[in-house]
Amino acid sequence: MEELVRAGLAAAEKAGALYADVRVIAPQRYEHLAVRNGEATALTYSSRSGLGVRVRTRGSWGFATASGVEAATVRDAARLAVRVARAAEGPKAPALPVTSEPGPSNGRYQSRMKLDPFEIPREEKLALLTDAERALHVAAEVKNGHTSFQAWEEVKWFGSSEGVHYRSRIVHVGAGADATAISGGDVQRRSFPNSFGGDYGQAGFEFVRSLDLVGNAEKTGREAVALLNAPPCPASTTTIVLASDQLALQVHESVGHAVELDRILAWEAGFAGTSWVAADDIGKLTYGSPAMNIRADASEPGGLGTFGWDDEGTPARSTPIVKSGKLVGVLSSKETASRVGLSESGGTARAEGFHRAPLVRMTNVNLEAGDASMDELLEGVADGIFFSTNRSWSIDDKRLNFQFGCEVGRRILKGELGPMVRNPIYSGMTPEFWRSMDLVGDESTWHLWGLPNCGKGQPVQSAHVGHGAPVARFRNVSVRGG
Amino acid sequence: MPAVAESKAQATLERLFDLLPARLDADARLTGERFGTMRFATGRIHQPQFESATGLSLRVYEGGRLGTATTDEFTKEGLRRLIEQARSLARVAPPEERFPGFPSAPDRRARAVPFSRPTASITPERLGDLASRAIEKANEKVKGARVSGAFHAGSEWIAVANSAGLRGFTQRSVAQASVLIERPEADPPVSGWSELADWDASRIDPEKLSLDAAGKVARRAPESIAAGSYRVVLGPCAVSELISSLGYLGFSGHGEQEGWSCLKSERGKAAFPSSVDLRDDGTSERSLPQGIDYEGSPKRPTPLIDSGVVGDAVTDLVTAGRLGRSPSGHGLPPESPWGDFGPIPTQLLLGAGDASVDELVKETRQGILVNRFHYVRVVHPGRAVLTGMTRDGTYRIEKGEVVAPVCNLRFTESILSTLKSVELVGKEARRFSDERGFVSVTCPAILAGSFTFTSSTLF
Repeated sequence: MEELVRAGLAAAEKAGALYADVRVIAPQRYEHLAVRNGEATALTYSSRSGLGVRVRTRGSWGFATASGVEAATVRDAARLAVRVARAAEGPKAPALPVTSEPGPSNGRYQSRMKLDPFEIPREEKLALLTDAERALHVAAEVKNGHTSFQAWEEVKWFGSSEGVHYRSRIVHVGAGADATAISGGDVQRRSFPNSFGGDYGQAGFEFVRSLDLVGNAEKTGREAVALLNAPPCPASTTTIVLASDQLALQVHESVGHAVELDRILAWEAGFAGTSWVAADDIGKLTYGSPAMNIRADASEPGGLGTFGWDDEGTPARSTPIVKSGKLVGVLSSKETASRVGLSESGGTARAEGFHRAPLVRMTNVNLEAGDASMDELLEGVADGIFFSTNRSWSIDDKRLNFQFGCEVGRRILKGELGPMVRNPIYSGMTPEFWRSMDLVGDESTWHLWGLPNCGKGQPVQSAHVGHGAPVARFRNVSVRGG
Repeated sequence: MPAVAESKAQATLERLFDLLPARLDADARLTGERFGTMRFATGRIHQPQFESATGLSLRVYEGGRLGTATTDEFTKEGLRRLIEQARSLARVAPPEERFPGFPSAPDRRARAVPFSRPTASITPERLGDLASRAIEKANEKVKGARVSGAFHAGSEWIAVANSAGLRGFTQRSVAQASVLIERPEADPPVSGWSELADWDASRIDPEKLSLDAAGKVARRAPESIAAGSYRVVLGPCAVSELISSLGYLGFSGHGEQEGWSCLKSERGKAAFPSSVDLRDDGTSERSLPQGIDYEGSPKRPTPLIDSGVVGDAVTDLVTAGRLGRSPSGHGLPPESPWGDFGPIPTQLLLGAGDASVDELVKETRQGILVNRFHYVRVVHPGRAVLTGMTRDGTYRIEKGEVVAPVCNLRFTESILSTLKSVELVGKEARRFSDERGFVSVTCPAILAGSFTFTSSTLF
């Protein structure tokens, strides 16, 4: 494969590229097993291989991909990538700026795991899913039980004309269970350990076993049924406490995307949108309260956003984004960093598979833990709402106005968790919301979540990202029932 | 794809079936795609790419159980590994007792559908030219504007075969384009958007697209208005978001079987005004046509809402078996993430009425005109409650006229309530799709008597 990479680089140079990088992914494997009401909804295994060649001419990037890993294929893709760049740059295109970074940087990266998920017998994986799915059906109202397991493997050879060459093998796994209770026209769902198919990590099958889907299924089913009879979430402006799973998504939507430098530069305006943050806000903007500390860390063990190098060859970095409430950094690539005068890329140029070009993506964007215990987070809240497990999410194209619905709410009454409420929704504006965060949970409330479905780019790419988040408390938030 | 390549695809499928054990029930799909994208932002093309891929998926039905595997390795060894993977999955699968088996031949012939060879084989130079012309026209029309968008074009072909003797082939050409024109220096910033999809790239005029987007850019600062329930004119782009959501919330075969479909209790009833007419039709030249589905069933016109009366959910082989029906021709690749949604309508056509946009605005009297929605998500699937933001051209209507731009609003509303309150339907339908033309919606503007906005944003 090394030779293939070098053949692609040579072909790109011969065709006139000033810079090229080649990614050969062989194999790219995916296994998805899912059971719903005792029947299979997904029992699939896929194994693909292919390559992507990205080039830079004076005034444009060009990218071309193909299935297969033959020398002729990579040479064709390299020539096509140069042709695409030439067709895009036009006669008067100014030279593209990119950061100039020390190199070369070579090596290997491999996911740490105890049990290779692709080596675990499928009988064992299916037995776990069917047992857990059966256990979700605690009452007649549970009309749908659903359990799933997913595993991804990507073996990648990367080389660039700047002399970066690396090989990596990254494995992600995840699993989850959810119960849907239906009665009288109402539909309520509870998921374990999170929605979006559960929780995910860069790990082996030991991660899936540790979730104990079977042991947690009965409680999940009972909560779905209980929600059918729970009162609706009352409407008010009040104190809310967000569980770690929901806060992870809040970080993702209202911080992670907002600090992507390509969005800030309006490169995503035509699709996902821009940002309320400006490039010259770095070091000046008060993003949130002094309790807010966020870091993008591609070296966090076990994260979906953890790797050795990004997809343009920058080594994994850990970058402070928000420090004591102040914006101090952004997510960037070599070109975006250069355009705002940063000396180096943040190392967050990532691509989905071989058939997509790298974009500025999140890595593990983590809200750091504070020092409050769970009891302290609830203490002093006379009447508030505890939100857990996302059900719906939406935010405007500058990442300001957001609305999140959760699977379950709990009243907080006189400093203690009270009864469930159904269809809880909270909404707000990003800066006001983060500035209202007055207490952040300690390490015991912090969890690194995996999100395997972050959509961005055209053609759209689905990225795997990580978010560590504690439990945290916010004041004066608008809540209601959906 | 030339006929010789079609026969090559079928030959690969024959080689696969030759390797299958005798009497093993199976179906297989060999798909290929070639697409180009010229994405532009801040007035320059910044992410151009061309991609091609082929993939083979095999689904076996063995011992009453299904298993699916995919590969892009077409050697004898690769095909053998594919068969082993699919069989190994089927061996451990829960039983699928109601699976009807693979059909020997469809009960109807696939119709020939429109296909544009120049679109399928579009060159980087041609795509770059389309994008550049759109940028140029936008800059000419709105001085100092920030221009973004994308032009996508290409094709997908699908060859299907099964162990009962079915053989099928179709190809789909797709062009999809969008232009966003912003004036970010305005306070608050203003913008306009236009979008179009077609199976023939030559019918997308980049200059016209930019002119349309420019016409949506407000000439003065938007004002904030209070959240609340308003009469609305939803432009075709906004309507397409609601209709595509209704497609899977109301007409998914899984939703029907599992009981969460928002229309489960409405089948056969006149739930909507008679002006609401929705069908799915992969054979229509007004959609992005595709002759067969991914199981080889021919596409056909499928009424979903017939003059206000709600029709059945759509099915593939698995859901048809579970529901005791015939498959409706909506099989998706069983290995794709969409497989979890089950069969959904993918070529939606909302019937046009006879009102011009001016007439819709006039009849609204007082309300809001929405060009486009952003980030639409499901709040409550059973009631089809969605939330999302307006974007790129939202205006206040007073005394039957568009009078002023307004800051973007968040809606939280049930699609069912919106469709129930439809008073008038526009006469000009427009076609929209995702960038690869997987789901297309062709629809006009509508006037809805009630639509709930729950908050607003700063721009």
